[in-house]
Amino acid sequence: MKNRLRVLRAEREWSQADLAQRLEVSRQSVNAIETGKFDPSLPLAFKLARLFEIPIEAIFSDEKG
Amino acid sequence: MKCLTSNPAARRYYRRFVVTMLLYALTLVLTIRGFIHYHPTGPLAWMLAVLPAIPMIGMLAIFALYLAEEKDEFQRSIGIQAMLCGIGGTLTVTSVWGFLEDFVHIRHLDPMLIFTIFWIFLGLSIPVLLARYR
Repeated sequence: MKNRLRVLRAEREWSQADLAQRLEVSRQSVNAIETGKFDPSLPLAFKLARLFEIPIEAIFSDEKG
Repeated sequence: MKCLTSNPAARRYYRRFVVTMLLYALTLVLTIRGFIHYHPTGPLAWMLAVLPAIPMIGMLAIFALYLAEEKDEFQRSIGIQAMLCGIGGTLTVTSVWGFLEDFVHIRHLDPMLIFTIFWIFLGLSIPVLLARYR
Protein backbone atom coordinates (compact mmCIF):
# COMPACT_ATOMS: atom_id res chain seq x y z
CA MET A 1 0.00 0.00 0.00
CA LYS A 2 1.31 3.44 -0.94
CA ASN A 3 1.57 6.06 1.79
CA ARG A 4 2.72 9.62 2.46
CA LEU A 5 4.29 8.87 5.80
CA ARG A 6 7.78 9.99 4.86
CA VAL A 7 6.49 13.35 3.59
CA LEU A 8 4.25 13.91 6.60
CA ARG A 9 7.07 13.02 8.93
CA ALA A 10 9.50 15.31 7.11
CA GLU A 11 7.01 18.21 7.29
CA ARG A 12 7.10 17.90 11.06
CA GLU A 13 10.85 17.31 11.11
CA TRP A 14 10.40 14.03 12.91
CA SER A 15 12.88 11.24 12.56
CA GLN A 16 11.65 7.65 12.20
CA ALA A 17 12.59 7.16 15.84
CA ASP A 18 10.48 10.21 16.85
CA LEU A 19 7.45 8.84 15.02
CA ALA A 20 8.04 5.37 16.43
CA GLN A 21 8.10 6.77 19.95
CA ARG A 22 4.84 8.66 19.37
CA LEU A 23 3.20 5.52 17.98
CA GLU A 24 4.74 3.28 20.67
CA VAL A 25 6.20 0.96 18.06
CA SER A 26 9.76 0.17 16.97
CA ARG A 27 11.68 2.27 14.45
CA GLN A 28 11.82 -0.84 12.25
CA SER A 29 8.01 -0.83 12.17
CA VAL A 30 7.91 2.79 11.01
CA ASN A 31 10.49 2.06 8.33
CA ALA A 32 8.61 -1.03 7.13
CA ILE A 33 5.35 0.93 6.88
CA GLU A 34 7.01 3.93 5.26
CA THR A 35 8.62 1.83 2.54
CA GLY A 36 5.26 0.18 1.83
CA LYS A 37 6.57 -3.26 2.75
CA PHE A 38 4.33 -3.68 5.77
CA ASP A 39 0.70 -2.61 5.88
CA PRO A 40 -0.40 -1.43 9.32
CA SER A 41 -3.55 -2.71 10.95
CA LEU A 42 -6.63 -0.50 11.04
CA PRO A 43 -6.03 0.54 14.69
CA LEU A 44 -2.46 1.62 13.87
CA ALA A 45 -3.63 3.43 10.74
CA PHE A 46 -6.19 5.31 12.87
CA LYS A 47 -3.47 6.13 15.37
CA LEU A 48 -1.35 7.59 12.57
CA ALA A 49 -4.30 9.60 11.29
CA ARG A 50 -4.97 11.01 14.75
CA LEU A 51 -1.29 11.82 15.22
CA PHE A 52 -1.05 13.72 11.93
CA GLU A 53 -4.60 15.09 12.35
CA ILE A 54 -5.64 14.09 8.84
CA PRO A 55 -7.97 11.37 7.49
CA ILE A 56 -6.55 7.90 6.88
CA GLU A 57 -7.12 8.31 3.11
CA ALA A 58 -4.78 11.30 3.18
CA ILE A 59 -2.00 9.04 4.43
CA PHE A 60 -2.67 5.75 2.66
CA SER A 61 -3.90 4.91 -0.80
CA ASP A 62 -4.61 1.42 -2.11
CA GLU A 63 -2.23 1.85 -5.04
CA LYS A 64 0.79 -0.41 -5.02
CA GLY A 65 3.69 1.17 -3.15
CA MET B 1 16.53 -12.30 19.07
CA LYS B 2 17.55 -9.46 16.87
CA CYS B 3 14.09 -7.99 16.37
CA LEU B 4 13.05 -8.24 19.98
CA THR B 5 15.22 -5.57 21.44
CA SER B 6 13.86 -2.94 23.74
CA ASN B 7 10.18 -3.14 24.53
CA PRO B 8 8.58 -4.53 27.70
CA ALA B 9 7.23 -7.67 26.00
CA ALA B 10 10.68 -8.48 24.61
CA ARG B 11 12.34 -7.88 27.96
CA ARG B 12 9.84 -10.19 29.65
CA TYR B 13 10.51 -12.78 26.95
CA TYR B 14 14.27 -12.64 27.54
CA ARG B 15 13.81 -12.95 31.31
CA ARG B 16 11.47 -15.91 30.97
CA PHE B 17 13.75 -17.49 28.40
CA VAL B 18 16.77 -17.33 30.74
CA VAL B 19 14.73 -18.80 33.61
CA THR B 20 13.44 -21.59 31.36
CA MET B 21 16.96 -22.36 30.12
CA LEU B 22 18.20 -22.57 33.70
CA LEU B 23 15.32 -24.88 34.57
CA TYR B 24 16.17 -27.01 31.55
CA ALA B 25 19.80 -27.31 32.65
CA LEU B 26 18.69 -28.15 36.19
CA THR B 27 16.17 -30.81 35.16
CA LEU B 28 18.65 -32.32 32.70
CA VAL B 29 21.27 -32.66 35.43
CA LEU B 30 18.63 -34.13 37.77
CA THR B 31 17.55 -36.68 35.17
CA ILE B 32 21.09 -37.71 34.26
CA ARG B 33 22.18 -38.01 37.90
CA GLY B 34 18.92 -39.75 38.79
CA PHE B 35 19.45 -42.45 36.17
CA ILE B 36 23.17 -42.86 36.95
CA HIS B 37 22.80 -43.12 40.73
CA TYR B 38 19.31 -44.52 41.40
CA HIS B 39 18.43 -46.58 38.29
CA PRO B 40 14.70 -45.79 38.55
CA THR B 41 12.17 -48.12 36.94
CA GLY B 42 8.48 -48.04 36.06
CA PRO B 43 6.48 -44.82 36.25
CA LEU B 44 9.25 -43.02 38.17
CA ALA B 45 11.69 -43.68 35.32
CA TRP B 46 9.16 -42.35 32.82
CA MET B 47 8.55 -39.23 34.88
CA LEU B 48 12.24 -38.59 35.41
CA ALA B 49 12.99 -39.17 31.72
CA VAL B 50 10.48 -36.60 30.53
CA LEU B 51 11.34 -34.02 33.21
CA PRO B 52 13.69 -31.95 30.97
CA ALA B 53 10.99 -31.86 28.29
CA ILE B 54 8.83 -29.68 30.54
CA PRO B 55 11.06 -26.58 30.32
CA MET B 56 11.56 -27.32 26.61
CA ILE B 57 7.81 -27.10 26.12
CA GLY B 58 7.95 -24.02 28.34
CA MET B 59 10.25 -22.37 25.78
CA LEU B 60 7.52 -22.70 23.18
CA ALA B 61 4.93 -21.45 25.64
CA ILE B 62 6.93 -18.34 26.51
CA PHE B 63 7.43 -17.58 22.82
CA ALA B 64 3.67 -17.86 22.35
CA LEU B 65 3.25 -15.60 25.38
CA TYR B 66 5.62 -13.08 23.81
CA LEU B 67 3.52 -13.06 20.64
CA ALA B 68 0.40 -12.49 22.71
CA GLU B 69 1.99 -9.67 24.72
CA GLU B 70 3.87 -7.91 21.90
CA LYS B 71 2.02 -4.67 21.12
CA ASP B 72 4.16 -3.79 18.12
CA GLU B 73 2.34 -5.53 15.28
CA PHE B 74 5.36 -5.48 12.96
CA GLN B 75 7.55 -7.21 15.54
CA ARG B 76 4.73 -9.67 16.21
CA SER B 77 4.50 -10.39 12.51
CA ILE B 78 8.26 -11.03 12.37
CA GLY B 79 7.95 -13.37 15.37
CA ILE B 80 5.10 -15.32 13.74
CA GLN B 81 6.92 -15.57 10.41
CA ALA B 82 10.08 -16.71 12.22
CA MET B 83 8.08 -19.40 14.00
CA LEU B 84 6.67 -20.58 10.66
CA CYS B 85 10.20 -20.65 9.24
CA GLY B 86 11.26 -22.71 12.26
CA ILE B 87 8.42 -25.18 11.77
CA GLY B 88 8.88 -25.33 7.99
CA GLY B 89 12.63 -25.74 8.23
CA THR B 90 12.33 -28.46 10.85
CA LEU B 91 9.71 -30.40 8.87
CA THR B 92 11.82 -30.12 5.74
CA VAL B 93 15.03 -31.31 7.39
CA THR B 94 13.38 -34.15 9.31
CA SER B 95 11.35 -35.34 6.30
CA VAL B 96 14.37 -35.35 3.99
CA TRP B 97 16.44 -37.02 6.72
CA GLY B 98 13.71 -39.63 7.19
CA PHE B 99 13.76 -40.62 3.53
CA LEU B 100 17.55 -40.72 3.54
CA GLU B 101 17.43 -42.93 6.64
CA ASP B 102 14.93 -45.28 5.02
CA PHE B 103 16.52 -45.59 1.60
CA VAL B 104 20.19 -44.70 1.92
CA HIS B 105 20.55 -45.82 5.54
CA ILE B 106 22.29 -42.72 6.80
CA ARG B 107 22.81 -42.23 10.52
CA HIS B 108 19.61 -42.09 12.60
CA LEU B 109 18.58 -38.55 13.53
CA ASP B 110 18.32 -38.28 17.30
CA PRO B 111 14.81 -36.88 18.05
CA MET B 112 16.42 -34.74 20.75
CA LEU B 113 17.99 -32.71 17.95
CA ILE B 114 14.66 -31.78 16.39
CA PHE B 115 13.96 -29.08 18.98
CA THR B 116 17.41 -27.58 18.40
CA ILE B 117 16.89 -27.64 14.63
CA PHE B 118 13.63 -25.73 15.14
CA TRP B 119 15.31 -22.96 17.16
CA ILE B 120 18.22 -22.75 14.70
CA PHE B 121 15.81 -22.19 11.81
CA LEU B 122 13.75 -19.72 13.86
CA GLY B 123 16.83 -17.78 14.95
CA LEU B 124 18.42 -17.69 11.50
CA SER B 125 15.20 -16.57 9.86
CA ILE B 126 14.89 -13.38 11.90
CA PRO B 127 17.73 -11.36 10.31
CA VAL B 128 16.61 -12.62 6.89
CA LEU B 129 13.02 -11.54 7.53
CA LEU B 130 14.12 -8.16 8.89
CA ALA B 131 16.33 -7.60 5.83
CA ARG B 132 13.27 -8.07 3.61
CA TYR B 133 11.57 -5.09 5.25
CA ARG B 134 14.55 -2.74 5.09
